[in-house]
Amino acid sequence: MSEEKQTKIDVENMTFEESITRLEELVKKLEQENLDLDESLRIYEDAVALREHCRKILDESERKVQSIMETANGLKKEDFRELE
Amino acid sequence: MSERLTVTELNTRVKELFSATPGLNGIWVIGEISNFKMYTSGHCYFTIKDSSSEIRAVMFKSARSRIDFDPKDSMKIEAYGHLDMYVERGSYQFIVESMKKSGIGDLFLKYEELKKKLEAEGLFKQERKRPLPQYPKTIGVVTSPTGAVIHDILTTTKRLYPADILLAPAQVQGEGAAQSIVNGIRLLNSVGVDVIIVGRGGGSLEDLWAFNEEPVVRAIVASEVPVISSVGHETDFTLADFAADMRAPTPTAAAQFAVRDKAEIFRQLDDFRIRSNKALSAVTDRMRARFNTAEAKLSPKRALERLEYLGMRIDELSLKMVSAVNSKVSGMRSRFAAAEKRPELALKASISRRRSESASLFTRVDPGMKAILTKQEHRESNLSARLDALNPYSVLDRGYSFVAGPDGRAVTSVRGLAVGSQITVRMRDGRIQADITDKEEYHE
Repeated sequence: MSEEKQTKIDVENMTFEESITRLEELVKKLEQENLDLDESLRIYEDAVALREHCRKILDESERKVQSIMETANGLKKEDFRELE
Repeated sequence: MSERLTVTELNTRVKELFSATPGLNGIWVIGEISNFKMYTSGHCYFTIKDSSSEIRAVMFKSARSRIDFDPKDSMKIEAYGHLDMYVERGSYQFIVESMKKSGIGDLFLKYEELKKKLEAEGLFKQERKRPLPQYPKTIGVVTSPTGAVIHDILTTTKRLYPADILLAPAQVQGEGAAQSIVNGIRLLNSVGVDVIIVGRGGGSLEDLWAFNEEPVVRAIVASEVPVISSVGHETDFTLADFAADMRAPTPTAAAQFAVRDKAEIFRQLDDFRIRSNKALSAVTDRMRARFNTAEAKLSPKRALERLEYLGMRIDELSLKMVSAVNSKVSGMRSRFAAAEKRPELALKASISRRRSESASLFTRVDPGMKAILTKQEHRESNLSARLDALNPYSVLDRGYSFVAGPDGRAVTSVRGLAVGSQITVRMRDGRIQADITDKEEYHE
């Protein structure tokens, strides 16, 4: 419980999977546990931050498309573009 | 006396002999094509040979149109037809009525044998199949860099989910294809991707053959990363498909298996939002219920502290938004401070002043910001309604009274109150001093 209290989650460095998994846990916790207002607000805030983080990843992240090859000098990665 | 024949008569007799001999008609000739030539007439002339002999062959246009591949030199074939005499030249030739590539039967046999063997090892078992990640950061792809497969995967994943794509270009048919595919799978495993799609477009059994080769099947089995296969058309089943964690009928389907659709994820996020809002109001409802009971700890001082504290929390929540909203929150705080002094009219005036202040602020901010503010405003009006519920005076309005002992502290129990001592009873519009004349403690 006390350990719960001090978790201030570092949303920015979480992967999408971590974020949405944690978000789901928090929502369930809010729904199921008999929390006081302070605790609820704290969790609610974290949930808002996580949801925003998830949305940001989906909306704003630029994906990389690369190819990878083994060459005499080791692995070589480069941007991949389809030939028209 | 010996017969005397012209050349034409002789060759014609041979021709008749050929056509009357069952063993020279309706037969399959197995060999390899050489000197293949197709004339503008559409007829094809070539030689069928094996290691120690050869025969000239003709395939007329009508027969050519019935086969579904292009015969060419050094192709191993089985030709169906009959032997015929070309009377004018005195040479015989094989008239091809139909033709198929040979070796296909062998391939089927090989396929069945290997399938049986690997099946017996348990490589195709359902319980070997691993779940695919739902939100891969990087999708590895082993296929030709120029085919439709990579194209379909790129366009589909782009639409669905922003995962990175890492392509290990591979040769997907012909000599060396199997090794090239195996290398690709290993390479992607070594750099760490979350899921691998391996595949190629449609083609003949021979074209797809690399995906029926043992090293490819074993590389899929050995992959630490889950593998989705997409080989050929929906109706093609290669051994690679049996070994993969998931078989996709098309490259587009493979991409759909690899990621979730973000539209669906957004719906889920929205559902989380609705649920957490609901859960939070349930908490405040519970709080309200507690405050509404006479047993509530109705110390106005503590309640005020609590309100101040909640105000701070709201400040924190708003900090990221705009200072305009902050001023509204501090307005809320001063409103509660005013409440302690009970100037109700002034309180109402203050609230409405704050409201119009923030309303005019809203008209000045740009529309984008306004949307944010409206959302925030909505949230805060919820919070402020909840804060209202916490306000002890709203309880007094409903006919409850607040009792303070001789020391001015809230009294929640008859214990410690002696007959003859004085208490202060606070009501909505004033307070009274009262003497205790009787006392009875309820025992549950």
